[in-house]
Amino acid sequence: MTGITLAVPSKGRLEELTREWFAARGMTITRPGGARSYLGAIEGMPDITVRFFPASEIARELIRGSIDVGVTGLDLIHETSESGPASVSIAGQLGFGNADVVVAVPEAWIDVTHMHDLADVASDFRSRHGRWMRIATKYITITRQHFASAGIAEYRTVESLGATEAAPASGVADIVVDITTTGSTLAANGLRVLEDGVMLQSQACLIVSRTAKWSKTRTARLTGFLDRLGLSAKLDS
Amino acid sequence: MTGAALRRANLEALVEAQGATRATPPLLLSADPYFDLAGEEFGRRLLLTTDATGAEYCLRPDFTLPIVTAYIADGVGRPAAFSYLGPIFRQRETGAAEFDQAGIELLAQPDGDVALDQVLTFARASLSIFGVAPDIRLGGVGLFEGLLAQADMPDAWRPRIRNRFGHTEALDRLLSRLEAAPDAAREKQPSRKTLVESVTEQMVAAGLSLSEGRSPEEIADRYLEQQALDAAHVPPRTLKLLRDYLAISGPVLQALTRVEALAAEHKLMLGAPIRAIRRHLNGLGEARVTFDASFSPRLDYYTGIVFEMTGPSGEILASGGQYDRLLERLGATAPIAASGCSVWVDRLEAEVRP
Repeated sequence: MTGITLAVPSKGRLEELTREWFAARGMTITRPGGARSYLGAIEGMPDITVRFFPASEIARELIRGSIDVGVTGLDLIHETSESGPASVSIAGQLGFGNADVVVAVPEAWIDVTHMHDLADVASDFRSRHGRWMRIATKYITITRQHFASAGIAEYRTVESLGATEAAPASGVADIVVDITTTGSTLAANGLRVLEDGVMLQSQACLIVSRTAKWSKTRTARLTGFLDRLGLSAKLDS
Repeated sequence: MTGAALRRANLEALVEAQGATRATPPLLLSADPYFDLAGEEFGRRLLLTTDATGAEYCLRPDFTLPIVTAYIADGVGRPAAFSYLGPIFRQRETGAAEFDQAGIELLAQPDGDVALDQVLTFARASLSIFGVAPDIRLGGVGLFEGLLAQADMPDAWRPRIRNRFGHTEALDRLLSRLEAAPDAAREKQPSRKTLVESVTEQMVAAGLSLSEGRSPEEIADRYLEQQALDAAHVPPRTLKLLRDYLAISGPVLQALTRVEALAAEHKLMLGAPIRAIRRHLNGLGEARVTFDASFSPRLDYYTGIVFEMTGPSGEILASGGQYDRLLERLGATAPIAASGCSVWVDRLEAEVRP
């Protein structure tokens, strides 16, 4: 294998924006089989194979090194594995898919405005309520890392794969860690983002796998590809 | 028998020689008690599996919890001693997820000092089987709690500082915040009744249960406490005491002398916890012992004295101490003296130079 695999989101708005982004830089991504096909190409660049994947799988495969370059959200790189950020190199931010991973508490928690308030509430939650403070989230890895660095150990995560913002009202959890662009969904559900509650500012990025096998030929091809986009990546540690 | 097999047999003999019941808890344990006791930080290292009903299990990640749980279920009160040697399972950055640990648990012993001495002796004897003369790092949880109880500050700050003990960055951030506390006069606060009403309204509007989690009263009280706290400054002299104390780290005798000097300067009665540490030093003989004032596991059931032993590689080979609050946390109705330690057998074997 001396070619390079580029993975792009397989459907929806993210696919469109990704193809527009490449097109604006003179690279036309083709998908000969239509929306049902998972294989594509870039016109005039036979060394690049395009694969269409769901964004979360792109993150996983970039970290594993089974694809070389991909477009996916920074949040997914951080969430998929603790070693995710170290396994890849961010070649460029694409300027769409912007969203923040945030900690939000019920509006009614007027005594909690910062993470250090949350630390205090968490520390005696168990003695007051006979259970740990519960956090609903699909971002388990990011939550654990961020809360550990904030010195908060006394909580449990409740995995939530959809409608996380409804978890406090439904009694499943006390607070949430969720992704938001404007905060309006959170606000509509009576939740407020802590003042220092932004854990990660995410957007779609062009990401290079550092765990893929980079021979001389392939590195040269990658550099050529990134050059045409006006980008570069750091492959060695 | 030679080499590794001989060392293993010697360790096995040491574990058997503790005058303790040999504990062999099941390999497959319910995961919930671990999350309950140690939280997500520890939980992420468990090897989890589920049964057909969706109940979560983990491969035994330590011996202490199942041993102590079984002891409580048997009816507490009698002094008991347990020893163990066998595999545990944890996700680790390096090394296999399955590895052996040996250790002892001494529960409800009449004399906590004697019990801790036995624990320290066991740890050192285990290490010496592998030819390791350890560096021993001591931490004083009891000492810090004594200092905190006597230091001059508004009471509400004490649990907040205690809760961050052992997490250097979080404690540093809190102290920095206290040092920078603004002197501005506070606005007049609404009454508790008004606050409770307004919080209740907000919770009802958002569809939150008023009883299931935090109640309006709890939130209002903490809000008022918070406002009062912002006004109730920790005296700069106390903040300096905490900074000076937490920075103490070094050879144990010098470090304890510095603690004594600090206690004298601030008129604190820390004689008892300092003497408790000194009493164990004779038993540690020639070992290189340091005292690190800021050292504590991040679990609030530790009490008294805690320790870590490292070898030439710098890896922690044994760790343990006193945890008199553990049994209460696990359901016992009164505090019960507990101490113990674990030794990492695979790391010990790695210390052996051919």
